[in-house]
Amino acid sequence: MIYIFYLFVYGFLLTAAIGLFASWFDRKVTARVQYRVGPPLFQPLFDIIKLLGKETLVPSGSSKITFLIAPVIGLASLIFVSTLLWLNALNPARTFLGDLIVVLYLLTIPSISIIIGGFASKNPLASLGSSREMKLILSYELPFVLALLVPVIKSNSIRLGEILNFQAQNGVVAGSLSGFLALAVGIICMQAKLALVPFDIPEAETEITSGPLIEYSGSALALYRLMKNMLLFTLPFFLIIIFMGGIRFVGIHLLYAFLKYIGLVALVTVIRNTNPRLRIDQAVRFFWGPMTIIAAVAVTLALLGK
Amino acid sequence: MSMKLKALLKSPWVFHLSTGSCNNCDIEVLDCLTPRFDIERFGMLLAGSIKHADVLLITGSCNRQSVIRLKRLYEQIPRPCLVVAIGECSLSRGMFIHSYNCPQPLDKIIPVDVYIPGCPPKPEAIIAGVVKLIEKVKRDKGKK
Amino acid sequence: MTGEEILKDIKERFKDDIIDFFDKTPRRVYIEIKPESIVKVAGYIFKKLGARFNITTGLDTRHHMELLYHFTFEDINLIISLRVKLKKDKLEINSLTSLFAGANWIEREIYEMLGINFKGHPDLRRLLLSDDWPEGVYPLRCDYKEWDKKAIRDRGV
Repeated sequence: MIYIFYLFVYGFLLTAAIGLFASWFDRKVTARVQYRVGPPLFQPLFDIIKLLGKETLVPSGSSKITFLIAPVIGLASLIFVSTLLWLNALNPARTFLGDLIVVLYLLTIPSISIIIGGFASKNPLASLGSSREMKLILSYELPFVLALLVPVIKSNSIRLGEILNFQAQNGVVAGSLSGFLALAVGIICMQAKLALVPFDIPEAETEITSGPLIEYSGSALALYRLMKNMLLFTLPFFLIIIFMGGIRFVGIHLLYAFLKYIGLVALVTVIRNTNPRLRIDQAVRFFWGPMTIIAAVAVTLALLGK
Repeated sequence: MSMKLKALLKSPWVFHLSTGSCNNCDIEVLDCLTPRFDIERFGMLLAGSIKHADVLLITGSCNRQSVIRLKRLYEQIPRPCLVVAIGECSLSRGMFIHSYNCPQPLDKIIPVDVYIPGCPPKPEAIIAGVVKLIEKVKRDKGKK
Repeated sequence: MTGEEILKDIKERFKDDIIDFFDKTPRRVYIEIKPESIVKVAGYIFKKLGARFNITTGLDTRHHMELLYHFTFEDINLIISLRVKLKKDKLEINSLTSLFAGANWIEREIYEMLGINFKGHPDLRRLLLSDDWPEGVYPLRCDYKEWDKKAIRDRGV
């Protein structure tokens, strides 16, 4: 029963708390960049509590069970991934063969749950947003997987714990040239996974009025927003484990861990505020063109030993 | 109930609806989102879809075509919700009171909580009206 | 061609159609013509002289109804308005959609607001009024009366 404790505390509570803080940080920095005062500290939490108190309207003619289950699936898989990542980061000996592949596979499920939710609501704008999200997933998964090959090649194994041990002995993967290129590709693919500008095509507010989530209200919308906020913690955490040596809670490394995480979130925010939104064909061309080439170059450099 | 309303007052998401206005009030509402009168510090965000909204901001004198749509939208907003009427045209149709296309004022069609007069009201007036709305909801909750 | 040449040309060519010629200023001219000859004159001004059809205005005055067709010549700064007076018991005129398609919607709007019938219009139906508006009630006429029993017309103070 220790696993239920792990799932609940590490997977859900810690991830949600840090994710909500990161979401506030992102909104506050955006407001400051635009020369205004931002929201107060607990604002994302108030958003979710308020949404839990509103009534949930299910559109008639939609498939009700799919409509209501989609956010639950997304949130559940995200809790599993967070637990796995936390346990590996705290104790690298707990790794098992193939856990990198399990993490990669489970990380696509939140996006798929948005697609399912969009198609289950009987609305043409929602289907449009969902189809755009599908195209976006097809495009950014390719350079993402290529970029993830670099630490695997360098540390010669496919287990998360051994990648962490390799980095503890030989320096972080992002220090070498191939690792740095792979980290850059990884950050841009993370921006697309989080559906933030310049890649927030599926959820374009005021263009297709929030895309797949247009018919969601009340508790289902609260679960989706919680899922997005938790994703804002899980994805940078994954990149930190793979590329930057993970986190350790002793002495000076606590400060380093905090700086690594906040640095990634600040980078995401700055990219979000300084770019316009791309069209879907421009985004697909961008990911299958320059990004794949850079990732392939990084993989070749890693194979050559740099 | 009080917990729900308390949470609603902390993060009201607004949806802006124009039932046939000259668009001046709409521009003033949009001004409230700019850095000078920033309303995100109260937690207010502009909601894209009616199902995400808590507060309906209505401008414009309701002409016959938009009354049908207004009623349909009012049915779709999830409760508890608040309605704010902005500008002279939505209070009592203003100078269009004898027009052939505006038979009824807004508060005979849907229940309104706060009225903000002005043609158009300044953004300071809109923010003052929203503050009065929050105080009114807190007072009524105390009475219940 | 300059402005005076255009006006002289129109005056000579349509001598028996023009009832009145009023140039308010050299650049703003009102020509009153008979209702039967609107297609001829408008066709000449649009096609041969190369004017741009701007808009049509409809008025309801005490004795008759008027229609004003505005044509503009942008390079020489001239606006010609063709005025047509219709008697109130015979509100019919030929439609101009056969000459240019831009007259389609404005004639629909004048039909639904003032009740003037445009003969030869391909699709004469309502444009702007709502679906529950009764037939035969024209709101912009002088003698329009309130038909809606549920309308509230006082402020309550």
